[in-house]
Amino acid sequence: MTRSSEAAPVKKPPSRQWRRFVRGGGIELMLLIAGILVLWSVISENIPNPSRYLPSPVSVVLSSYDVIWKGLLPNYIGQTLWRLVIGSAIGLLLGIPFGIALGLNRTVSDMFYPIMNFFQSISGIAILPIIVVWWGNSEKTVFVVILYTCFFPIAFNVLTGVRSTPMILVNALRTLGASRLRIVKDVLIPSAMPHIATGARLGIGYAWRAVIAGEMLAGRRGLGWMIFTSQDADLTAQVILGMVMIGVIWIMIDRFALRPIEADTIQRWGLVQR
Amino acid sequence: MPAKLVVEGLSHHYPDEYTGEDVHALDRVSLSVEDGEFSAVVGPSGCGKTTLLNILAGLLPHTEGSVQVDGKEVGGPGPDRGVVFQEHAILPWRTVARNIGHGLEIQGVARSEREQRVQEFVDLVGLSGFEDRYPHELSGGMKQRCALARTLCANPVVMLMDEPFAAVDAQTRITLQEELNRIAIATKKTILFITHNVDEAAFLGDRCFIFSRRPGKLKATVKINVPREKRIWKDLLSEKAYTDPRDEILRLVREEVFDDEE
Ligand SMILES: Nc1ncnc2c1ncn2[C@@H]1O[C@H](COP(=O)(O)OP(=O)(O)OP(=O)(O)O)[C@@H](O)[C@H]1O
Ligand SMILES: [Mg+2]
Repeated sequence: MTRSSEAAPVKKPPSRQWRRFVRGGGIELMLLIAGILVLWSVISENIPNPSRYLPSPVSVVLSSYDVIWKGLLPNYIGQTLWRLVIGSAIGLLLGIPFGIALGLNRTVSDMFYPIMNFFQSISGIAILPIIVVWWGNSEKTVFVVILYTCFFPIAFNVLTGVRSTPMILVNALRTLGASRLRIVKDVLIPSAMPHIATGARLGIGYAWRAVIAGEMLAGRRGLGWMIFTSQDADLTAQVILGMVMIGVIWIMIDRFALRPIEADTIQRWGLVQR
Repeated sequence: MPAKLVVEGLSHHYPDEYTGEDVHALDRVSLSVEDGEFSAVVGPSGCGKTTLLNILAGLLPHTEGSVQVDGKEVGGPGPDRGVVFQEHAILPWRTVARNIGHGLEIQGVARSEREQRVQEFVDLVGLSGFEDRYPHELSGGMKQRCALARTLCANPVVMLMDEPFAAVDAQTRITLQEELNRIAIATKKTILFITHNVDEAAFLGDRCFIFSRRPGKLKATVKINVPREKRIWKDLLSEKAYTDPRDEILRLVREEVFDDEE
């Protein structure tokens, strides 16, 4: 079809976003999601007392009218996100410099490596009970758990990144007359970037789980709290709504906040191939 | 005129961490490189060439003997000694231009002057048009040109090169050798070039230092009396001033290799 033939029926060329969506398997994904929703509905239709055990997707949305349209849900989501952002921001601010500092000296880093590995394996949920003993059901408890949960994976990965910097790059800079600070800035940090990005993604991912768990036990308001209290009130539809929101919000955080950072630096440098 | 680089009675031992056995890598090496001279070090694998270079660069501390650059004892790495490593030593997260200008950045040279100097060396090594590319977008040969330009651009007193062309293919290698020769003429740099390739040593060097097998000793010094301007591969292969010393070096190196194998 040529552009000059005015008589030809006007068919808009597919936009770039649309083509990217199609090429990225977007249609298949949509079909898959639709399939899951249909399967869910079918199961829900065929069990006794679905509103208690498994409300259908449609009734989840409808019966959650209160929390959705009265503004409670946005409020809870805001509360949970706020906790996540503050907690993981502090985690990043402390974890990255800590990991770098440990990585600078071989002896220190050999000593701390197993310790960091130990702590990053104990999930935030596992330490929650003792934090509750110390600080009770308070806002502080939720923050401490988030902070703990993201700090160790971040610091551990940064440490691993600094340790795996090729010695030849450090030596090359030394022969150019670089100071220690300059080597940290120009070699160690950029070289550790893939690990820093991985650590941040892991740490924030764990923190996202921890904030939900923390809210169930110790928080007021928030998505975790909503799930927990809805279950008490026998509002299964709201429990499911909360679960779905947790997953959807995480995918958005990952897609629009965490992955672009990775792509902007690491891929451009050819450090990872996609 | 005093020599730019003077090595006297340099020995080196590595302690072996596992067996506790002592590895004697260098044995009382003495040599000197004149201002503007291109010297090549040839020797069999494991004879201590890299050890020598690391000591000269200040990356490895030396305990026996002395190393002086411009009359000053070497006590650590410094910008007076530029090093071109065998491979993979340019920073993947910096563009070609920012890699080449890194030494000047460290020295605190102002941006405008830096950019001008960088452009000069980009052109000299034939990387024009690639200034804004990242290393992973370059071929192996181009990466080495970039590494070479980075070292040159920092304007060291002495250039130390450790088998910089070992990892590129034979054709590229020939081109790079001719280019290095041209660049050495243009910049009048004092160079110590390490290789185990006899042809390469004889093609590039004004003087070649031949090392014995481990513990590395300076076994012989061979002069190559071909003017630098005349060093082009296709003319040189039939030039007696090149082939005679080349054969001499080959004979000296072979003795070491065959000794090693018996
Ligand atoms: N860090 C080290 N610890 C112990 N021994 C070492 C160390 N580095 C090198 N050696 C030993 O010292 C000797 C000289 O090594 P060197 O790397 O200087 O040789 P080379 O001449 O550069 O060899 P090649 O041509 O293979 O690069 C070798 O026998 C090697 O095994
Ligand atoms: Mg070597």
